[in-house]
Amino acid sequence: MFGWKGKILRVDLSQGSCLVEDTPLGLARDYIGGRGLGVKVLFDEIDPRVEALGAENKLIFATGPLTGTGAPAGGRFIVVSKSPLTGAIANSCCGGYFGAQLKFAGYDLLIIEGKAPEPVYLSIRSEEVAIKPAGHLWGKWTTETEALLKAEIKQKFDIWEASDTSIVSIGPAGENRVRFACVMADGGRAVGRSGVGAVMGSKNLKAITASGRGEVAIADSEGFKKAVMDFLEEGRENKELEKRHMWGTWSLPGRANKTGTQAALNFQTGYFKPFEVFEDPAFIRDNIRVRDEACFGCPFACSKRSRIKDPDYPGTTKGPEHETMALVGSNCGIGDLDDICRANYLCNELGMDTITTGATISCAMELFESGYLPEKDTGCPLNFGNTASMFQLMKETSRRQGFGDLLADGGYAVAEKYGHPELFMGVKKQGMPAWHPQGIEVIGLQYATSNVGACHTKATLPMYEGRKDPAHHVEWTKQDQDALAVVDSCVLCWIIYHGPLWSEKPLVWLRAVTGVDYTADSLALIGERIWNLERLFNLKAGLSGKDDNLPPRITDEPRVNNQVVHLDRMLPEYYRWRGWDESGIPTPEKLLQLGLAGKAGAK
Amino acid sequence: MKIKVDYTRCTGCKLCEVACSLQHTGTVNPWRSRIRVFITEEYCLPVIAGPYTEAACNSKGVRVIDGREFDECVLCRASCPVKPIFKEPDTQIPLKCDFCGEPPDPQCIRWCATEALTLVDE
Repeated sequence: MFGWKGKILRVDLSQGSCLVEDTPLGLARDYIGGRGLGVKVLFDEIDPRVEALGAENKLIFATGPLTGTGAPAGGRFIVVSKSPLTGAIANSCCGGYFGAQLKFAGYDLLIIEGKAPEPVYLSIRSEEVAIKPAGHLWGKWTTETEALLKAEIKQKFDIWEASDTSIVSIGPAGENRVRFACVMADGGRAVGRSGVGAVMGSKNLKAITASGRGEVAIADSEGFKKAVMDFLEEGRENKELEKRHMWGTWSLPGRANKTGTQAALNFQTGYFKPFEVFEDPAFIRDNIRVRDEACFGCPFACSKRSRIKDPDYPGTTKGPEHETMALVGSNCGIGDLDDICRANYLCNELGMDTITTGATISCAMELFESGYLPEKDTGCPLNFGNTASMFQLMKETSRRQGFGDLLADGGYAVAEKYGHPELFMGVKKQGMPAWHPQGIEVIGLQYATSNVGACHTKATLPMYEGRKDPAHHVEWTKQDQDALAVVDSCVLCWIIYHGPLWSEKPLVWLRAVTGVDYTADSLALIGERIWNLERLFNLKAGLSGKDDNLPPRITDEPRVNNQVVHLDRMLPEYYRWRGWDESGIPTPEKLLQLGLAGKAGAK
Repeated sequence: MKIKVDYTRCTGCKLCEVACSLQHTGTVNPWRSRIRVFITEEYCLPVIAGPYTEAACNSKGVRVIDGREFDECVLCRASCPVKPIFKEPDTQIPLKCDFCGEPPDPQCIRWCATEALTLVDE
């Protein structure tokens, strides 16, 4: 068998059992792996109406056939679950080494079920799998959790085992079921969105350590090697390797701000003056960068380890990426780079999604400034730009203390409680990411129709050659959503493969690695199948076409470039391209075409 | 001819391990690679497998280079009885870099995008 390992590790925390099963290979072919195989397993194994933070929900760590192969930018893994923030499907992705180590350990999927009676962590060393007590780790911040586990591994085994082992963990936020808690990995990376960290916390699972000594077999190793060489050559010629390596996402805050498409002041505007300084990304790199860090097998190495000179924020972390800089920065009225880094640091250590944290606090800030949210409730003045209050509330949120208990349920809960749900800037209760949709209209459609709620990893910017004509934006939205579903299933990095530049490559890697004769058409069909299955999951969970919406600020109030997003015009066209009826439900003919007949769980 | 390592350019992508493993085994398995990247929060250090030595040394300590502390056992390129790396996982047969044959064409260098690894004449 090539690409896939053919094994699934199933851990039942209620029973304390760890079982190894065969990966159903037919399903693996039809859903590839990662996000696709993950949603297929979740859809078949749980009722989408279960309580997301109950023991019935499952947490699936999914690799794909390209994980651990060295396919360029193939270092990611996906976590699939039901989201406690949105009530919809969650399929958050993350880089680093965890996916590769899980694969070398021998597994395509790790399925976590049930709930441990006491805090535990899961140790995976190839076939040696054990559930171990984690009382000594509970309450710890994420880097300390990793450091303690690494020290244990070094003592029990050796220094190389500690170097190779990849660790994912939750912080206090996940333990306390903050609905936008994330799972942190490899000292500062995040499985950020949809609150999968809260699901992990609800299972009393503090961390997972993974290392493996197995191989990933390649069907056509000579062809694969040559294809990678060609890719590296292309990357050198078009300077993409150098650009990504140098700047990562740090070239974006200045660019988005300059064009007025930067989320600012709870999306009241698309421009924030203090961000002008970021128009030269060297300002960021020169001030905070420690070094560039790659995910497994990625020649781009776009992520950056950073440090600020403040003894209250010791050590290093990763980021802040563009999305973080926008949401905890400009969107909260904060422009100082060190303050943005402090917010990023706290989110990473406490284990909270930087984007939703920013979206939640910015929403509370606008409620406060509008006079809807009194200071006696917040316990502190919460005007835009008030960093002291923000840092204090972030810590309270992670502990569900004081006003933080409400913030921990997300911005929609806050806005609704104070009678102004329209001031929450999100979709399906998940905050919108960095790009203001009024700057690029079709982004609004992509946020509105995303299965996981507003999300940067599911949106593609129509800024590339061959993608610019607005007449085709709705059609391309459907195509690109399906293509990204394939990318997330391989698993490849959406940042590298979401534009047309390398869009043909996933097919090349998949054919060489797996030996399966995928074609461009069969992959497009698989992507559409995955997207529709996620849609069916959401419909069964109780969502409907009404949830494909945007805040009225985006559709009715021209804030950026005197534009609004005409979702009412785009959505029916989008449903037609999808082959869904006018209320957004996949038609029986469409489901039949996708091999999903009989799966209709709508209504 | 030597492979020069500039660890300050290494990003920890481990494509060198992939390249070496593919070249020598046709599969991807870092434990069968003749080059390994040691990763800490502070740095990434590629280490290339040197000759096998039967005796485990007893002089392990800390080496300071440019103000940074390195574990000498990690810096050491030898495959030895007490070191966990540079052995075939199944058979424990020691591994050694062979410059990918004759003429030398080390694949790790070709896969390294940041030029942390370069081929230099002695």
